Amino acid sequence: MSAYTPAPTGTGARAQVQRAGAFLAGMVMPNLGAFIAFGLITALFIPTGWINTFAGTVKSPLLITTQIGTMVGPLIVILIPILIAFTGGKNVYGHRGGVVGTVAFIGAMVSPLALQLKGLSLNGEPPIAPKSLGDLGPNILAAFILGPLGALLIKLWDGVIEGKVRGGFEMLVDNFSAGIIGGGLGVFGLYVIGPVTFWIAQGLGSLVNSLVNLNILPLVSIIVEPAKVLFLNNALNHGVFTPLGAEQVAGGAGKSILFMIETNPGPGLGILTAMLLFGPRAIRPTVPAAMVVHFLGGIHEIYFPYVLMKPILVIAAIVGGASGVLWESIFGLGLVGPASPGSIIAWALVSPPDNIVLNLLGIFIAAGVTFVIGMLLLGFGRKETATDAALDLEAAQEKSKQNKAKSKNQPAPSV
Amino acid sequence: MATIDGSAIKKLIVACDAGMGSSVMLAATLKKQLAKSGVTVEHSPVAHIPADADVVVTQASLAERARGVVPDVPVVPFQLFLGDPSVTKVVKAIQNGETVEV
Repeated sequence: MSAYTPAPTGTGARAQVQRAGAFLAGMVMPNLGAFIAFGLITALFIPTGWINTFAGTVKSPLLITTQIGTMVGPLIVILIPILIAFTGGKNVYGHRGGVVGTVAFIGAMVSPLALQLKGLSLNGEPPIAPKSLGDLGPNILAAFILGPLGALLIKLWDGVIEGKVRGGFEMLVDNFSAGIIGGGLGVFGLYVIGPVTFWIAQGLGSLVNSLVNLNILPLVSIIVEPAKVLFLNNALNHGVFTPLGAEQVAGGAGKSILFMIETNPGPGLGILTAMLLFGPRAIRPTVPAAMVVHFLGGIHEIYFPYVLMKPILVIAAIVGGASGVLWESIFGLGLVGPASPGSIIAWALVSPPDNIVLNLLGIFIAAGVTFVIGMLLLGFGRKETATDAALDLEAAQEKSKQNKAKSKNQPAPSV
Repeated sequence: MATIDGSAIKKLIVACDAGMGSSVMLAATLKKQLAKSGVTVEHSPVAHIPADADVVVTQASLAERARGVVPDVPVVPFQLFLGDPSVTKVVKAIQNGETVEV
């Protein structure tokens, strides 16, 4: 174990939060490809998308864009929640769990249509009940619940009847038990889980809306930035922001600021730049490659250790992150799909045409603010503390070893 | 603290939270470094580390969870994703078939 690697301290709570978050993120992340397809098709083909913007046909969209744009709704309302429910079920009990979990979810999915639920009025327009599948919003929260729940029930049932089925009847029992449990849970979802999750999502949606309208959304950075460096980034982003953002996009906004909060690569770039110029000398050489992987590759994990090494830097990340969110909420910016990974390239690809310049500026504002505060906190590199000196000593002792290691360990900055 | 015998390692797992980002990157680097040694290098989410792993490499913040998933497999925590001495140590141990404390 090196000086870089202190023994993990007893933070059982953190591991538990990580685990709970990973359970949610584990349902979303294997399906990010579908989110990206949704994001790209939205960015390109909706009436205000890139193609109509370039063709100057925003007011009367080109036929081909309205044709292809038909995919947008089903992708986000039907496909993505179903994939999430299936993955949630599969993670609990394999393919069979996935099937039962997905069937269970369909009831909750159509619940607002079946029960003619009217949402909350967000901007003064009277809410209307959906008239067809196309008017539904994506109920990802219900997918989070019913996917694993359906799988858990069929798993328990299979455990109870194991070895008790007469020879030759296994397939009959297996198929009908899955069908009955899935279908039954689907009905339960339609009448109970569907309405409950619908109202929770409506409530959260209007809460986010008020936070944005009051310009106090930047306060979430106080939670987001420290949580990120504790490796809760995926839990937070894909467990909370991605599902809520997807509901905002499909709910008529066409874009969401929630996709930007955790994924802004600005604060990380600011931290790394401050470390490169003013951090402990021993670790400065590792920073340039990390900057490329972080900023272009979008792998934020790579900057977390630098903050953990100098925990005070989290303040820089919070203020920088909040500045970015403030900028985004002042100008009403958003992304049309999740930027995953959180690379500046991904941001550009899922930015709506009228936001792209301001969106990218938001990254550099966050980076700049983080860098300036980080620089002050690092005392312009002059505050070499005892730990830093120890780091330097260790580095000197392992110099030859390290030099070799460095030349071998640094991957080509291709990402 | 655990002791690992470099010559006995057949399967090295790089674990991260989602098993999609940072672990893939580090696994690719280690795969290149260990190409000649015949060791299988794979990446995985920390919650699904395969039980037949001989050694697990993961960021220090995730080490506790890794140990919970595979209590019998030595877990090597590291700090930096690029150029961390702990990782270099494991690579060296495997290349030279040495026994090291991790």
